Amino acid sequence: MMKKMMMTGVASAVFALATGTAMAAAPADWSKIEATDVDLLYPGVSPVEWIMRGPSHGGARVLKRGETCMGCHSEEIGDMGQLIASGGKIEPTPIPGKAAFINAKVQAAHDGENLYLRFTWKQPEASGAPKMDEANPVKLAYMLEEGGKVELAEQGGCWGSCHGDVRTMPDGDQSKTKYVKDGSLAEGVFYDLNQWRSGENKVYDGYVADKRVMEGGEALVGAEGKLEDGTWTVVFTRKLAGGEGDVTLKPGNTYNFGFAIHDDNAEGRFHHVSLGYSLGIDADADINAKKQ
Amino acid sequence: MADKDSSNTGARGLSGLIAALRRPSVHYSLASLLLIGFVSGIIFWGGFNTALEVTNTEQFCISCHEMRDNVYPEYQETVHYSNRTGVRATCPDCHVPKEWGYKMVRKIQASRELWGKMVGSIDTPEKFEAKRLTLARSEWKRMKNSDSRECRNCHSFDSMDTGKQKKRASVQHEMAIEDNMTCIDCHKGIAHHLPEDMTDEDWD
Repeated sequence: MMKKMMMTGVASAVFALATGTAMAAAPADWSKIEATDVDLLYPGVSPVEWIMRGPSHGGARVLKRGETCMGCHSEEIGDMGQLIASGGKIEPTPIPGKAAFINAKVQAAHDGENLYLRFTWKQPEASGAPKMDEANPVKLAYMLEEGGKVELAEQGGCWGSCHGDVRTMPDGDQSKTKYVKDGSLAEGVFYDLNQWRSGENKVYDGYVADKRVMEGGEALVGAEGKLEDGTWTVVFTRKLAGGEGDVTLKPGNTYNFGFAIHDDNAEGRFHHVSLGYSLGIDADADINAKKQ
Repeated sequence: MADKDSSNTGARGLSGLIAALRRPSVHYSLASLLLIGFVSGIIFWGGFNTALEVTNTEQFCISCHEMRDNVYPEYQETVHYSNRTGVRATCPDCHVPKEWGYKMVRKIQASRELWGKMVGSIDTPEKFEAKRLTLARSEWKRMKNSDSRECRNCHSFDSMDTGKQKKRASVQHEMAIEDNMTCIDCHKGIAHHLPEDMTDEDWD
């Protein structure tokens, strides 16, 4: 009898361990998770300073009144990318063959411990242009923001971190990185930044406040990416709570979200960027992370 | 002495003409005089109006190289010049009022442009660019003050179905209606290049 109880105890412990492991894992079948279509456009040179000025961007007036980028542009992201990538507007150095836009699908789920984000997109044709980042054919980065404290985070995703005076911009300071207006970790004015690099097969967990910091975050567990039959799949695993520079995700809340893909060995501004989306943790949003 | 005589003769001539004009006719009937006056009036008015309308054509505008070489090619790239419906708004459609009173006021103001033409204030592309902002500001102000009257000869919020517009346009037009805005508030540069030295205040 004693032996049987011991066996049951061991079995229970193994089961609990197994269950625990299973709980902290990405969904086994992503096809059951709702996917959100997101078009990422080639943005050219369209920093905050450009989009907030009426003479350059006609939408500045409605933007200042609180309208979102998606509110006006959701149906024409590909056309905008085409116009810019071809050099028709705000791209002083067009790259022949550069993809105008990328259509990606985003899926999200959580298990009470981790957030899982899955990105899939068809690899665009290579432009054949010289490689800017030799080591990494593809990089994917997403940003999270809480409470709309960062200017434009709620309206335009990552756009609040894009400025004309930073590296790779035509008149930028090559030593200056992304930043946000009045950026401050202490005040909560920052983007949480997670990045995966295909060539280095490495992840970076940082933030963007008064400058961009690529490391030091404690939330990102890892990311796996692969290219199969011309389609990229990248899955991030991120703890709901982390440390300094990490947005703490709580069920019932929504967060501002945007992401970028550095395709074709791109560097700096030569990426494809999403407009602004909301990510909900068991809350209604553009991208819903439901508990599995 | 001769000068004095000459001056007296001139004064006599003018007063003689006035006296002759004031003297009732003894040779012509009232009907003849009325008919002659009526016909002369038609000829004079018709001639005046025809001459006025000649100045109200695109061909007249671009007969000056200042317009032909600078603003006209820019306009040719826009939807007001070429579009799927085949409707064209030419220079005077936007820049000269249709109503007679407003039109005459505008024409009198425009006579200043003759002076500009004579002294060559914008007779090279460089001079034109240097003055583009001043010229544009003047026209923006005129349009703002008239509630974009010339735009509204063709466009109006009443006949605008924002539901049929692109999202970008419908969002902005609905805001414009709500805020009682006028066309030129947003549509600066719709037919010509915006001045490079335009400021944020010019837009807001």
